[in-house]
Amino acid sequence: MTEPVIDLLEAEELRKAIIGGEVDAFVVGRDESNQKVLLLANAYQRYRQLVETMQQGAVTTSLEGGILYANRRFTELLRTPLTRLYTAPLQTHVSAADRPRLSAFLARGGRASLEIAFNSADGTRIPTRLSMAVYDGYASILVTDLRPLEWAGLAVDALDSIRSSVEKLNAELREPKARQALDNISEHINGLARLIDSLQESPGPAESKNG
Amino acid sequence: MTTSDKWLLRLYTAGQTPKSLTALENLKRLCDEHLAGKYRIEVVDLLKNPRLAKDDQIVAIPTLVRQLPSPMRKIIGDLSDTERALVGLQLKKATS
Repeated sequence: MTEPVIDLLEAEELRKAIIGGEVDAFVVGRDESNQKVLLLANAYQRYRQLVETMQQGAVTTSLEGGILYANRRFTELLRTPLTRLYTAPLQTHVSAADRPRLSAFLARGGRASLEIAFNSADGTRIPTRLSMAVYDGYASILVTDLRPLEWAGLAVDALDSIRSSVEKLNAELREPKARQALDNISEHINGLARLIDSLQESPGPAESKNG
Repeated sequence: MTTSDKWLLRLYTAGQTPKSLTALENLKRLCDEHLAGKYRIEVVDLLKNPRLAKDDQIVAIPTLVRQLPSPMRKIIGDLSDTERALVGLQLKKATS
């Protein structure tokens, strides 16, 4: 087959596939350097579903911080409806002291990560890790809530503290004097228990009056 | 049916779009049924690297390219039309 015939067959093949609804993306761009994949609308659904239901926040901003998109989780984190998120830049949701840091992070572009705390509408401080990838002049940012890690850290600290207290107590109990003191306390407790038992067995004041 | 010993099939996809997933599923089924034990599938995700589209002059996605046996053949679409896919791969003669 000659090249023009092959081209013609390919064109026919393409026509059939498009009419038959068998493709959902196209490669566009005149040369290799600016070639992109253009997805047809229905092809986005899977990604949208994934992004909307994931447990991490996702937000797309301009490099100046203007919010263009945010997923459900991000609006939950900030306790701010999406319609209100669009009205102010991302920097308004961090403390004044952190704003220059966030602005510099966004302006830097490329791929980067940053740990920064957001302030939700109810005043809760939310420590997060931002993972950013800039594509076509827009920043796609994944927002990971670090509070579970902080809570886990606090729990580990508390456990460590309890463990060291128990170890210290164990060491003290090995001392003869401590053992004697513990025995004395046990005797007192047992005595109190016996007293309570005898009081329960003896008739109460009302019973003795009527009896 | 005549088939050569080695089949190298390259499927161009765009991430996990419905048609890309359908094409891969159909391709695997088709290979298992007609080329068992003598094929290799390469999946090229053009969302990750659109520049790779140039190699085989890909316009629409998904597109399957038969690299081996030569000559190269291209089948555009999700391969749900088994008849067309088999004819395209030259595993079956076209019925007029």
